[in-house]
Parts: sequence; C-alpha cells; structure tokens
Amino acid sequence: MKLKHGTLAMILAGGRVNELNVLTYYRPKSAVPFGGVYRIIDFSLSNLMNSGLERIAILSQYRNFSLINHIGSGAAWDLLGRYRGISVLPPFMASEKSNWYRGSADAVAQNLDFVHYHRPEVIMMLSGDHVYHMDYRQLIEYHRGRDADLTMAFVKVPLDKAHRFGVGALDGEDGSLGGRVLGYWEKPEKPEHDWASMTIFCFKPEVLYEELAREVEGQENFEFGRDIIPRMVAEGRRVYGYKFNDYWGYTRTVEEYWQTSMDLLGPNPPIRLEEWGLRTNLEHRDIRDYQPLRVGAAAEISDSLVYNGCEIEGKVERSILFPGVKVGPGATVKDSVIFFDTKIGAEVRLDKVISDVNVIFEPGCRVGRRPGEPDGGATVVGWSNVVPSGVEIGGACTLYPHLKKSKLAEKIKSGEVIK
Amino acid sequence: MSAVFAPFRPPSSTVVFLLAGGVGSRLNVLVQSRAKPAVPFGGLYRIIDFSLSNVMNSGLEQVGVLTQYKPLSLMHHLGTGAAWDLTGRIRGVKVLPPRTGSKDSDWYQGTADAVRQNLDFLSEHPSTEVVILSGDHIYQMDLEQMLAFHRSKGADITVAMMEVDIAKIHQFGTGITDGDDRIVEWEEKPEKPRTNLASMGIYVFSTEYLLTTLARNRLEIDFGMHIIPWAVEKDNVFAYRFHGYWRDVGTIAALWEANMDLLRADSGISPQAWGIRSNPEAEGLVADRCPARFAAGCKVSGSLIAAGCRIEGEVSNSVLSPGVVVGPGAVVRDSVIFADCHIGAGAVVDLAILDKKVVVGNRAVVGHGDNHQIPNHLHPKHLYTGITLVGKKAVIPEEVVIGRNCIINSDAHLAPGAAIATGETV
Repeated sequence: MKLKHGTLAMILAGGRVNELNVLTYYRPKSAVPFGGVYRIIDFSLSNLMNSGLERIAILSQYRNFSLINHIGSGAAWDLLGRYRGISVLPPFMASEKSNWYRGSADAVAQNLDFVHYHRPEVIMMLSGDHVYHMDYRQLIEYHRGRDADLTMAFVKVPLDKAHRFGVGALDGEDGSLGGRVLGYWEKPEKPEHDWASMTIFCFKPEVLYEELAREVEGQENFEFGRDIIPRMVAEGRRVYGYKFNDYWGYTRTVEEYWQTSMDLLGPNPPIRLEEWGLRTNLEHRDIRDYQPLRVGAAAEISDSLVYNGCEIEGKVERSILFPGVKVGPGATVKDSVIFFDTKIGAEVRLDKVISDVNVIFEPGCRVGRRPGEPDGGATVVGWSNVVPSGVEIGGACTLYPHLKKSKLAEKIKSGEVIK
Repeated sequence: MSAVFAPFRPPSSTVVFLLAGGVGSRLNVLVQSRAKPAVPFGGLYRIIDFSLSNVMNSGLEQVGVLTQYKPLSLMHHLGTGAAWDLTGRIRGVKVLPPRTGSKDSDWYQGTADAVRQNLDFLSEHPSTEVVILSGDHIYQMDLEQMLAFHRSKGADITVAMMEVDIAKIHQFGTGITDGDDRIVEWEEKPEKPRTNLASMGIYVFSTEYLLTTLARNRLEIDFGMHIIPWAVEKDNVFAYRFHGYWRDVGTIAALWEANMDLLRADSGISPQAWGIRSNPEAEGLVADRCPARFAAGCKVSGSLIAAGCRIEGEVSNSVLSPGVVVGPGAVVRDSVIFADCHIGAGAVVDLAILDKKVVVGNRAVVGHGDNHQIPNHLHPKHLYTGITLVGKKAVIPEEVVIGRNCIINSDAHLAPGAAIATGETV
C-alpha cells in the first residue's frame, strides 16, 4: 500500500521584479497575467497538481492581495481536501526578531515551524515565475535514487545569457539524466558553463535544517543561490543536477515577457497550452461569467489567442487578448498582449504593446512600434490609464499606472518613461 | 417573560419550484440523454441557467427543482448550487425527483401534480408565496417585481403574460384581462385566438391558496389545464405583463433561432448583461479551457466562439461551444456546435446543430442542397426549416454528404463517401 506522498512543496513567490516594471506595480511577479487567462504561477501550480504533489506553501511578501485572491481556496488545482492544501505564508511579527523575508532561504527559515509540522520526507523549493511543463516526480525520483542532499533542476541556455542565472558544472554520472554538481556560480560575470539553475531544489530535510541554521562570521545566509548552494558544493555535500530538456520560459524583463508570450503563437508553439493540463482559478475577475467571445461581421483574427468575454470588431494579429477586451471597428492590434477588460476604441492602432488591465485606448490613438522604426521593444501601459484620442505614443515606452490625463496629452517619443 | 428576538435577517418569504421534468421530445436527439432544461445553449450555458440566474438575481433563496425525465445531466449541472449562490445556511437548491412512500407513490402526472407530491418541501420552508417557474425558457425577469405586483393586487395567483404573435397563440395558455389586469377568462391552447396575451408558464401563488387548491381534487394535475382556469372563475387571478425577450426553445427551429438571436446586437438577448451564471465546474477538469486559438489564415465573422476552440478554417454566423476544432479549409455556417466537436479539413457544416463530441470527417458535408422545405420524413414536425441535426458523439466519415432536415443519431454507422438524402434519418 502506498501512503500519501511525503513531499512538501514551497513556492517562492515573494518578489517584485524591477525589470518588469509597471506590470509588477500592484502585484508580485508570480501573479502577472500570462497566456490569455492564466497567471504565471499557474504553471508551477499545475505542474505540482499534475505531479501529484498536494501539500504546498507559497511564500509571499510583495503586494500579495492579487496572489492570495488568485489562489483562493486552492480548489482550482484540486488542492482542497484532507491531505491536500495550499497555505500562503506571509512575513509575520514575532516575539523577537521580526523581519521581512530577506531572501529565499530566509523566507523558508522563518517558516520552519510550518515545515516541521508537516514532517516532510523531501522538501521541494520552486519559483512561481517560470513557464514550463515538468513532471516533478522524475526529479524527486532522481533525488532519492542518488540519495542526494540537494538535487537541483538545470536547463541549457545560450552561454551568452548564462550570466543571468545560477550556473552549474555537472559531471557525466548519469548522462542525459543529470549528474553530480561539481561547481556552482550564482550569476557569474563570465560563465563557463551553460546549465542554468531553474531554481527548483529538492532537499533532504535534515540537510536543509542544518544549512539554514549555519552561522558563518561576516556572511549572510539568506539566499539559496548566493549563500547556501555554493557552500554546499564547496564542502562536498551530495549535490546533484537533474537535466530538464524541454521549453523553459522566463519573464524577468518586459522583452522576455513579450517574447515568452509570443511563444504561445504560431503553427507549432513551444508552449503547448492545450497539452500541458494547465489549470487556473476562474472565480475571480468574474472570468467564468463572461459569455463566449463575440466576433463581429467585419472582424479579422489571425494567429491569436482570445478568451471569452472579448468583443472583436477590428483586426487582431499575432496577439493575446485576456477576458473582456473590446476591439472597436477599424482598430488594429498587432504583436500585442492585452490584459483583462481593456477597451480599444475605433481606428486605434496598437503594435507591440503590453497593456495592463482596465486601460482605455480612446478612438484613433496610436501606441507602440511605428512602421519603418527599428524594433526597440514593447511599449508597456500600466493599469487604469486612459490614452486620449489623437495621442501618439512610440515604441518601447513605459506608462506608469493611472496617469493623470495631462501627462498623456501629446505625442510621446519612442523609449520615453512617463510617471 | 423575556422578549422574543426577531431573527436578525429573516429568510426570504418565497419558495421557488422549478419545473424541469419535461421530456421536450421535439428537441429529438438533443434530449436523448438529457432533460430539456439541460440542453446546451449559447456556447457556454444550459437552458436552465436562465431561470436559475433569474432566481438568484431576484434574491430568492430556496429552490426545489422538480425532475423526472433523464435527470442525471441536470443534477450534475446543478451541483451544490454554488454557481448560483444557492448554498449557505439560508439558501439552497434541492433536486426533487419522484419517489415512493406510504402515499403519493407515482410519477409526476403533470405540473400541479409534481408540486402536490412535494408539499413537504414547502412545509420545511415556511413561505407566504410560492413561485413556480419552468426551467426551459430563455429570458431575464425580476421575480421580486412580480412578487410585489402580486402582493399589491392581493392576488391568489399571478400569471406572467406577454403579447405574442397571434399566429403562435395556439401553443399557449391565454388570458383575457380587465382594465385592472385581472384575468377574467382563460383558454388553454385555443384554436381560435381571442387575444394575443400568452402565459409564460411563470406563476406566483399565495402559499395558503396553493395548499387549499391542491388539496381540492387530486385529478387536477396541470396548472394551465386545471388549476388556473378554475381559479380564474372563482378567485383572484392577475396578469403580470412582461415586455422583453422571452423564448420557449422547445423546438429545434426555436432553439436555433434563439442561438442566432445571440449574434444580433439588436435582438435584446444578452446572457452576460443579464447576469446569467452557469456551472462550468460541472464539466470537471475540462472547465478551464485555454483561450480560443485562431490560426493564421482563418476567417471568422458574426459568431460567438467559446474558450478552448481552435479555428483554422472559416466560421460565420455560428455559435461554437468550448473545445470545437474547425480544421483547415473547413466551413461552418449558420450553425450551432456543442462542445468538443471536431470538424475535419475541408468539411462543410451548413445550417446544422451538432450535439457534443461529433466528429465530421475531412471533406464531409453536413447540410447539402436547396431543398430546405422538404421536412424530415420520420419527424416532419421536428425538422422542417432546413436544419440538420447530429446526435452526441456521432461519427461522420470522410466525404459523406448529408442533405437538409436530416437526423443523424449518435450510434449511426455511415460508410465513407455515403450520401444521405434530404429528410432522411440515420
């Protein structure tokens, strides 16, 4: 008889990411909308659900209403039951030493009471802000088979981008499956290896407890990648790398967010929404109460994802439209990602625009890349803005949320930031 | 003696009976495995969602759903009732099927009989009025307003009525009113119409009056045929006039028409604006579909497309439920397609209703030719406007050509390339 799975999963979903800018103004990165109806954390949560991991904690501290609202009871991921559940763990006041989460390891260290309560056999840590499909059971099996102190998942990235990640040197012990981690460098300036850490860690509990309790004179012990993992590797702990050989989308900058979104489109998209068994919570933002998408008589839609509740009269090309978006007659939306309930008036032109929720583009305004202009990145419009008729906003601009109308009264040149 | 405290928030004084037991046989293969109120509508809804949402939006809190015919699909759809906010300490929706017991051991013989057999539900939930609704109409109505009208008139019974096309009046119960909206004469399904004021099958009864009148004669089994005519003669029956969109979608033609109405901005029907709620969770894990995917080169116009569809071909003037795939070069026109149908490359679906999970093979044609006026030979009263009907999970092999007013049953076996003439049933 197989008793209930002994793995506790902890999602580190706390952070705001500066480079994502206005999209994380009011929400943590893990709650950023993605893919026409989802939030980024849905990928991790659905992977957990599909891997049969049912005891989950979410460590969250930045602006977490949006995230808590999205998680709800956990029922959307079937994580509500006697042996199933999601607990959101925010920072707290303590009788001594109250602190914000000072890093990923510190966040776990501050919640060791929660961890001990569940008596896990394996503690898995993962991040809530990557786009991928993975069966964590294979990783856990590998971790147990190697009797590892720590097993980390790695994915191959181009060497010239490896400096942005934790980078590992793996030996060939298990060929394409993985191997011993011989060296580990957090965001090295000149990386020599191209296996990037996906920030998915499986710890042997007693090893984790020991490492979190370590006090080294003059050194912080707050971050797994910066403090704990390099030390474990250097001290000869059994640290293993599990090689992941499929799509891994990251969304740490606006350009990456845009590119990862575009990976949803085309004839053979690398993100296979239909096959990944992705779940989301339809209870908030009234998502489940929208009627089907209404396509007008003169509408044109091509290579796009559009959710219920949208009304399309104009042209939509290579774009992703979240619930409740309206595209007026004669309007063109191209290469864009438009969040919930944004209204795009008649004759509006949007080209390479990421628009947050509840934005109104008044008839005739033009936003984003202009024909003939070099491609300088997406224009990001923060939430609850009104872009008046006649206004022209160039490419790669940033509009902060809820701007005063006077700030958007005239032409805005490419690359400008409006606060 | 100490003071008796009134309850802080009194429960609603109204109990609702939703009549959802009818066979709806004119919907043919669509009601082969489900009751009429559970028939899908408008891409994301079931017919009963309209009545249930009206109940919710009117603030009514206790609902008994009277079922009899193939109730499983319906019970599954109702779930806990949470979709319509009908769970909680003072809210609830209960399915009331026929049952055996020391007395009243029988099927429901009619609308009034069904309510009579569930008087215990009524005594469990003390009320001053009982609202009796049918679960198979498409409309939006504030029942609280109708209750206020009922109370203001001091009525025993109030019947919701609306003006309909005089040519259609023979399908309805009709009433002749005086200047005070009192109904003075009642005719059930008259052959020679004397009025165009038709009953919508929505009644408010004063609870006391309902109890007395149902106790009078057990042979009175139907509200429209027995209870209302008697009451019109002896007691206080008023007409509550309704103006707006209302359809009985009891026929294939009416169901298709009402779906088409959704595509026209001026038709007056708007499930989203009406606050209509459905229960996507009843569909289990497939509820959270990904957004509809539109391939490069597809053509879509004047249609409703639900999440989870994938469109590579052409869709015009149609309603597509979740998960419908329209292959490259395929054409879907003037049709209503239920969930998870697969329309193969180069196929044509023209003026058809496809039940769930139908597979249309490559280059097959559903709805061919111009003989719209030749009705279905087996069911000439079900299919006569040109609509071809395909049953749940039916498989139509490659290059089959099917004419107008045809019925393809779920278990039909067709050879690839077969031709089905207009009016045939397979």
